[in-house]
Parts: sequence; C-alpha cells; structure tokens
Amino acid sequence: MELVKSSQKSSALQRGFRIGKLGFGLVGSYLGYQAQNLLLSESGKAQRRAQFQRKASQRVTGELGALKGAFMKVGQLLSMQSRVFPEETLRELAALQMHAPGMHATMARAQFKASMGKFPEDVFRHFDPEPFAAASLGQVHRAVTRKGEKVAVKIQYPAIRSAIENDFKVVRSATFAGQLTGHLPTAAIDEVQRGIMEETDYVNEAKNLKYFREQFEDIEWVTVPRVYEEFSCDRTLTMSFVEGRTLAGFLETKPSQRVRDLVAERLFELFEIQTCYLKALHADPHPGNYLFRPDGSIGMIDFGCVKRFDVDWRELRCFYEEWGWRESEAAERRFLKIICGPKAPYEKARKILPDVEEWLELFHPRGSGDVFFGRKMEPALKKRMEAAWTRGARRIFQNKWINPEYAFLSRADMGLWYLLEQLGAVVNISEIARRVEAGRKTSKAIAS
Amino acid sequence: MKQGRRVQKKEKTNQAILKAALELFAAKGFYATTTKAISRKARIAEGTLFNYFETKEDLALFFLEEELSGVMEWYRANKGLKEADIAEKLFAIIQHLLERLEPYEEFIGAVYMRALSPASKLSPFSFESQDRHLRYLRFIREILLQAEADGEIPALGDFGAYAFGLFQLAILTHWLRDQSRGKEQTLALLDRCLKMATHFLRNGGWNW
Repeated sequence: MELVKSSQKSSALQRGFRIGKLGFGLVGSYLGYQAQNLLLSESGKAQRRAQFQRKASQRVTGELGALKGAFMKVGQLLSMQSRVFPEETLRELAALQMHAPGMHATMARAQFKASMGKFPEDVFRHFDPEPFAAASLGQVHRAVTRKGEKVAVKIQYPAIRSAIENDFKVVRSATFAGQLTGHLPTAAIDEVQRGIMEETDYVNEAKNLKYFREQFEDIEWVTVPRVYEEFSCDRTLTMSFVEGRTLAGFLETKPSQRVRDLVAERLFELFEIQTCYLKALHADPHPGNYLFRPDGSIGMIDFGCVKRFDVDWRELRCFYEEWGWRESEAAERRFLKIICGPKAPYEKARKILPDVEEWLELFHPRGSGDVFFGRKMEPALKKRMEAAWTRGARRIFQNKWINPEYAFLSRADMGLWYLLEQLGAVVNISEIARRVEAGRKTSKAIAS
Repeated sequence: MKQGRRVQKKEKTNQAILKAALELFAAKGFYATTTKAISRKARIAEGTLFNYFETKEDLALFFLEEELSGVMEWYRANKGLKEADIAEKLFAIIQHLLERLEPYEEFIGAVYMRALSPASKLSPFSFESQDRHLRYLRFIREILLQAEADGEIPALGDFGAYAFGLFQLAILTHWLRDQSRGKEQTLALLDRCLKMATHFLRNGGWNW
C-alpha cells in the first residue's frame, strides 16, 4: 500500500512541476522571442509574433491535454474568453475541445477491460480502436453493437479521479493566498472540485442523459443520445451515435446565413428552456458540447457536468429589459441580491447600478423594443460598453460579493454568446423568449 | 521418431504438473502447497515430479518462462501492432504480460518475494534465470533496434533492453501492490512513464 501512496505523492509533485515548468517555459521562449525581435525588421516582427503565439499556444494545448482533468477544464474556459486571447491562441485552445492527446488503441482496449471486465471485441460486433473525439476525461470510440446499432463508447482515462484529486491539491496550495484573503473562497474550490469529480462518474452522466432526453423528446430538431446501460458503468459510457459536425467543421461547410441564424435561434431556445424552465444546464455552452447538421438540427453531447440552480433567470432578464430596479427600493434590493448574493450590504452594492445602467444603455437602450443579438456596433461604443461591464464586475469581485449561481449562469451566458458570435448570426432573442413561454404554456395546458 | 515422441510426452507431463501446481497455488497459496499435493493432483509419483522439477522454485521458473514465451509469440503474431509507435509497442508487451499473470496474482507475489533473495534460483541475477532473461532481452532489443532504424529513438545499444527489463520489474511491483479497480493505476503509470521516456529519448531531455 505504501508504494501506491508514494507513487501518488510523486505524481502530485510531478504535475505541480509540469505546470510550473509550463509557465517558466513560456517566459523563457518569450524572452528569446524579445531578444530576436531587436534584430528583426518591422515586417519580420509581425511574422515572429504570430509564430511565437502559435508555438506558445501549441505548447499550452499539449501540456493541458497531457495533464487532462482539472487543468484542461481551465484550458476550455480560457478558450471562451474571446477578447482576452489573440486569435492564434484561441484556435489552438479550441482544438482542446474535441482533440486532446489521449490513449492509444492498446491502452483504450485495456482500460475498457479494466472497467467493464471484458475486451471491447467480446462485447461489440465492431469497435474502432481509433478514437474520433477526445473528452476532457477520456475519449470516444465508434462501435457497432451485436444488433447492428451504431454507438459511441466513451472510455475514461485510467485513474483520472486520483489525477484530479492531485491537481486540486496543487490548485489549493497555489491559491492559498487567495483563500486566505477570501478572494477565492475555499467553498468555491470545493464546489469546482465536486463538479469535476461528478463528471468522472459516468453513471451520473447516464442519469443526466435520460433526464434531458425526456425533457426534449417533443423537439424534433434536437437529439440527445440514448444510453446503453448494458455496456456502461462508472468509467465507460455507451450511447447511441449522434451525427453532426463540431462548430468549426460546420462553419467550414459555409452554411448559408439562413441556416446559421436558424442554428443560433435554436441554441438560444435550448438555453432559454434550460435556464428559465428546467433550471438545469446540460453543460457549459462551449462548442465541443454541440454537434451541428446541414438542416440546422442540433445534437447535444457531453452531459457530464449538468448544473442545477435556483436563480430565476427569467426574472433577471425582465429586470434587464425593463430596468426593473428603478421601480421601487424593494425591486432594487431584489435585483442586487440576485447579482451580488445575499451578503452584499445594500448601500454599498447599489453603487454598481450606474455601471450596469451605462452598460445597458449602450447594449440595449431603454424602450428600444426587441433585443437583437448580432447587431453591428461602433467599435468605440463597444469598447465603452465593455469598460462599463468590467468596472461593475471588478467592483463585485473586489468586494467578494459573489453569488456563485449568478457567476455560473453569467459564464454560461457568455459561452452561449460566444457560440452565436462564432456563427455570425443575427437573432431576435426577445421573440424567441416569447415563443418559448407561449410553447411552455400550451404544453402545460395540453398536459393538464 | 521415438525421441520425438519422448519429447512430446515430457512436454505433456511438464504442462500437467504446471497446471496442477497453478491450481493448488491459487487455492492454497505458494508456500502452503506441498510437492506431494502437486504430484497427487498431476497423477504422477512424487519421485517422478522431482525428475521434472527439483523444487517449487523450478516450477515457478518454468511458469515464468512459459509466460514470457507466450508474450513473445503473441507479439510476433499481432499484426495490428506493426504500425504502432514504440511507446505503444512496449506498453502492449507489458500489459499483455500482466494480463496473462492476472489469474495467478497471489502466486506471482510469492515468487516475487522469493526472487528478492540473492540465493534464490528465481533471482534475476541467478544462473538459472539467465537464459530466460537473455532470450527476453534479445527480443526487446530487436524491437528497440527497429525503432532506432525507423528514427523513432536514438541508438541505445544494449542499454535500452536492460533499462526496459528493470522498468518491467518496477511496473510488476506496482501492479502487485495496486489496489485500484481493474489495476488502472498501473495502466496510467505505465502509459505516462513510456510516453515520458520516449519523449526524453527523442528530444534529449525537456524540449522547451
């Protein structure tokens, strides 16, 4: 037993060392790049900068992919922050979503046996040894059941649970200062760890799949995979195969504006149903969690980190649309409680309202009718809008008034907007919200 | 012809004794199993047993030899691995060996403890186990030579095969102590070590 323990210890150290090395490596080559820059002409500079960014981001992708688990999640989150990173880095990080360095055929086969007790060839008619997609915690293989059904088999990387626990040990010690000052509450780290650990349990994912399949069974343009329980366990998950392309692949087929708008509308509708009615999100809306088809239909994949919450997103949207906090002090208190959490002192918290109003005035002026996503905006105005947003967010962060559910939903909302932005779509989101509400009412009436 | 038949018969008895011994080791453990019990189960006289195997250690040596030969045969027949990179090939060899040893884990544990004693025939440094070792190391060297010829790794000489032998022993130690389900900790360790080693060999260290 001692041997196993000590190997885990060294593995935590090794991971810590690799992450440290990653930062050091980037700095090292950045210095080299700066030194060479001095000797290069103007045109050479731009070329070198692009080359450096590509190399650096390839290194980031490689390292994060190799480390898997918690750090890869950070990589995926970074890739959503479209304004923070240069285009080159983003492209490399986006690759993490579907293509991470993974298990070779022999390893995947051995791991299938370790989890299911049998080799894949003893269970399926055909099993493709090459994975077609990488998940943050494993990889997905095509297979055909003995009955001839096409399935996707998700196999977890061996010992990922202990690897993640090690990562969190490093994260906890690295963020000790933040925990001490309270800027990064220990409870928040616990919550992230709990979420990621939940993601390593494929039995839980199978439950989520069943729930969403039931919820979306009336919508013909969305596909949620079916679970094959007889070929699944906590570390292997067999699902019906969902056809479709990733966002990047879909955009490469140059879909028409009409199809892109249709897809964006549907993505928004799915988000609306989940946030306002189910109060559960299937996953962070990042491009790797959806598959797109030429007719505009959508496949939903990766149900490992379903998040349930209490925040009334519909109420919050009404606040934004009608500047509801101006109606009464009670309304103002209610609005601030949603955004800043119950602990924020009212008098102090209300100082963020001017920032919110400035941002909103630019984004969607009061009384200007329906909210459209994708409308063209003057760069100067856009800059002012982002500055107001950042000021408000900074004030919340500095005062440690974080309402975790609101923070999560805002991040998910940003993820959705990033997707819509990538699609280059124009969508009337107010109209969709009205349609969804009417639809829910009708289905309720029919049900009763 | 007669001689051929005699060899065949000897091989058959060898296998019968090994089968009986493995069954008893699995049921009672290596130490508690007597040679008398083995001969009774194999339906031969105890004296005949000693003609084949002087001690239980000799039996264990024969077993290991059989398993390693089995791994080498399996590897040579496995066409799917021809295209794999060197890390996957070496992974497959160790993993297949572990897979074969899986039903006899307790027995292997006992053999392993004995092998630690320098006086034991089972010790990797003993005269009796040299031949088996050399055959296996030559087999590994062939694989490494191919990888060198393909430009996958730099020339390692005999060192590569020796290092692999020691590495395999270390992995076997980990495997014996591995309490994780399906021994997945060992799979992960094996994978990481081989990937890191081939990375080091290719780049001559950390390539930052």
